[in-house]
Amino acid sequence: MTIDMSRFYQVFFDEAGEHLAAMEALLLELDVDAPDLETLNAIFRAAHSIKGGAGTFGFLDMAQLTHVLETLLDRLRKQETRPTVEMIDAFLGAGDVLKAQLAAHQAGAEYEDPRIAEVSARLERLSGIAVTPPVSPALQPPSPSLPGADASASSWLIEFRPDAIDFQSGANLHALRDVLAEMGAVEWLTGEDAEVCVWRLTTEFGRESIVETFAFVCDPECVSIQADAAVSSPSRAPSDADDEAGFGFFAGAPGSERFDESPLDQEETADLNDPGFGFFAGAPGSERTLDQELDGFGLFGGSPGMDQVAAVANQARDEREQGYGFFDLAPGAPETGVGDAAPYDRPASGRAAPVAATPTAVAPTRRPAAADTSIRVGVEKVDQLINLVGELVITHAMLAESASALDPVIHERIFSGLSNLERNSRDLQQAVMSIRMLPISFVFNRFPRLVRDTAASLGKKVTLKLIGEDTELDKGLIERLADPLNHLVRNSIDHGIEQPERRREAGKSETGEITLRASHRGGSILVEVRDDGAGLDRDKLLAKAVQQGIPMPENPSDKEVWQLIFHAGFSTAERVTDISGRGVGMDVVRRNIEAMNGRVEIDSLPGRGTHITIRLPLTLAILDGLSVRMGSELFILPLTAIQESLQPTRDQFKTVAGKGQVAHVNGDYLPLVVLREVFHLDGRPPSHEDGILVIVDTNEGRAALLVDELVAQHQVVIKSLETNYRKVDGVSGATIMGDGRVALILDVDALVRLNRKTV
Amino acid sequence: MNDERKDGAMINPEGASEYLTFTLGDEEYGIDILKVQEIRGYDAVTRIANAPAFIKGVINMRGVIVPILDMRLKFNLGQVDYNEFTVVIILNVAERVVGIVVDGVSDVIALKREQIRPAPEFGALMDTAYIDGLTTLDDRMIIMVDIAKLINSGEMGLVDQVQTGSA
Repeated sequence: MTIDMSRFYQVFFDEAGEHLAAMEALLLELDVDAPDLETLNAIFRAAHSIKGGAGTFGFLDMAQLTHVLETLLDRLRKQETRPTVEMIDAFLGAGDVLKAQLAAHQAGAEYEDPRIAEVSARLERLSGIAVTPPVSPALQPPSPSLPGADASASSWLIEFRPDAIDFQSGANLHALRDVLAEMGAVEWLTGEDAEVCVWRLTTEFGRESIVETFAFVCDPECVSIQADAAVSSPSRAPSDADDEAGFGFFAGAPGSERFDESPLDQEETADLNDPGFGFFAGAPGSERTLDQELDGFGLFGGSPGMDQVAAVANQARDEREQGYGFFDLAPGAPETGVGDAAPYDRPASGRAAPVAATPTAVAPTRRPAAADTSIRVGVEKVDQLINLVGELVITHAMLAESASALDPVIHERIFSGLSNLERNSRDLQQAVMSIRMLPISFVFNRFPRLVRDTAASLGKKVTLKLIGEDTELDKGLIERLADPLNHLVRNSIDHGIEQPERRREAGKSETGEITLRASHRGGSILVEVRDDGAGLDRDKLLAKAVQQGIPMPENPSDKEVWQLIFHAGFSTAERVTDISGRGVGMDVVRRNIEAMNGRVEIDSLPGRGTHITIRLPLTLAILDGLSVRMGSELFILPLTAIQESLQPTRDQFKTVAGKGQVAHVNGDYLPLVVLREVFHLDGRPPSHEDGILVIVDTNEGRAALLVDELVAQHQVVIKSLETNYRKVDGVSGATIMGDGRVALILDVDALVRLNRKTV
Repeated sequence: MNDERKDGAMINPEGASEYLTFTLGDEEYGIDILKVQEIRGYDAVTRIANAPAFIKGVINMRGVIVPILDMRLKFNLGQVDYNEFTVVIILNVAERVVGIVVDGVSDVIALKREQIRPAPEFGALMDTAYIDGLTTLDDRMIIMVDIAKLINSGEMGLVDQVQTGSA
């Protein structure tokens, strides 16, 4: 082997990490009583991919462990045994060991731990009876042998109109094809963009199964399924095609299997296939497929020369060209004959191919998506890009400002150029910003495990519901959100959800429920942690506040009481055991969220549960704001904070002795913040009723902000004042306006605090 | 700070370093030219709420938010007006970019270390703690300022520890 595999290590580490995470998520999702075959398959595939990669890169310890894991999974997936909770635990344990092994390899070390043997032994014991010894234990999965599968397979011609299909986001014909590929071999008899698609599916499943599959995506009426007499049997060929379709990756590799059909010596083919080298298998079929190689199959050639397969193969090759750079270099492998690199070894023993190929053929369905849509780039590069685009937008605004003095008739070209520039730079800005966006599932995914473990250790029954995992937000926020959320969820389990018997007494289901929900609302993201536990205890919180000497108003509102748990030092060890409230590090949670320009709100009903809402800006770099004028100065108010604005009348302003001014708005008395006074701006203050009242939402409730004038709505790039200056009270940052001047971004929460000090 | 300054100033092979001199009132000051990023005219600034009066505000300098301090206000030098001749020296000290408003920039001079005499303990506009020494140039006395030390001192209100004082 002449290739230096080490340069692919990082890719392997990344992918194995993803597979492990996926496996864990699926395991937790698995309902032991009614195991979903698809989930089991997916878990198997994840384990299998890890094993393949580990074997290829020579991490034999991982390969061995995954092999044992896979053996058991394989039995589950073939429904030879039923999953048990013990198995799931063993799988999770194995997952942990694999993670540790992966981390060790990443650090360039071997991972030595008695746990490895322990986990393997446990898995082996669970898998019970010995499985058919695989051909090559470290690399080869047990050859699934369902004899006669291909004999009973038949071909179906499926006709449908792609436009009749209601794809879910992200799905397309390929995804559909991949789903079908799990049942058997799929061939595309028509082009990808044909108006009426005709596919040929060769499967051992009956017509009903195909109809069912289609029922997921469209009205079965739209699909015509007929037995295809022409290729009905022997049906080996289409199954090969399936491999190619599924395996975009090593396009044409299945040529080896195809070979079975070729007039060449069957024995020889089998020999080549059995060790699992099907991979770069250009070789076995090479003579037959010379024409295909000319057709552009190059190194991965060896595709079968048959017409109907060619269409699929070509498409598979396209996929490969699109970006499976991963193994582009691997063709070096064929040097050693048939390519013993076998990065994703397939259970391709020639004879069992139609069945064996099925599970693996599905695995790549995710891979293509991952491979051709992602590149790994350092965050700082993206940030630099965002900064530069920000500058570009500002520069454009400045140009536009200068150009506005020109006569539009004479300088028409300048103006049209400027508007083009504006559109382009906005698009660019959006595109660049979206690079940083990641689905929140990156954070959410850790919670099923966390909840399971925490609940188990506390002897509680808790289910976790995740909603809106696809909500995208800034990568920077995602990373910083993980800790606070962790805290909140732990708190919910620890202090919120009661013990099963307590819950039963309270007439609730024994199993508590924690809901994590993410959603977009306006320009911000809401992340909610909701539990149906005991809720906060108002009296105990108040008693604690008194004990700690925290000043509280006479008749504090619930909101004020709940805010107590964010008080630094409010959480003490004794408290945790004492009351079923929260408090451990809640002040840290709040600080972290506020550092992201976010806010935390608590809602709680005794006996009904607690609902914590985190409101975050979409991104850390850009803010939707309203510019307001005070005197000659412009300030930016974050749009997320603004509820409404109105022109006040004189009688809306009241003073409360000793407590400053309030504004009477829609029946509520809101604290009035006169920005001019808070900031001590010069100039003669106009009378209150000449200004505009902006009702803002702060973490201490609503407040009315008095400004001179509302100017315009902007999307502004947030700049830190602290880079060259220091933190300014009442201001969260600065931005550069279109005319090149600096405007300060107001921090409404701080303003309200500041207002109290001023008054 | 001192070390950093000396290191920076020791580039000249003859042991001489260059200093930018500027005037504040009747006095002439010199600062290490390596700390000077650029010299520009006074532009409209954005005021910062509740900041001391000598902190004029912030400006946008090619996308960077730069605070502007008026040394004349800081050291109570009578007539302070802003016109087309008002000069701002943009300094780059201790990873901060800061602009200072002065009466005028006069010269760039090369001085050897030994030409700078220690300053006696008498009052200049600035506290002697920030004064490196004195030198004479054409019979004019120039007060050498350790600008990095001055800018980072709590007195200038640029660093966070004075926040409580001004908030």
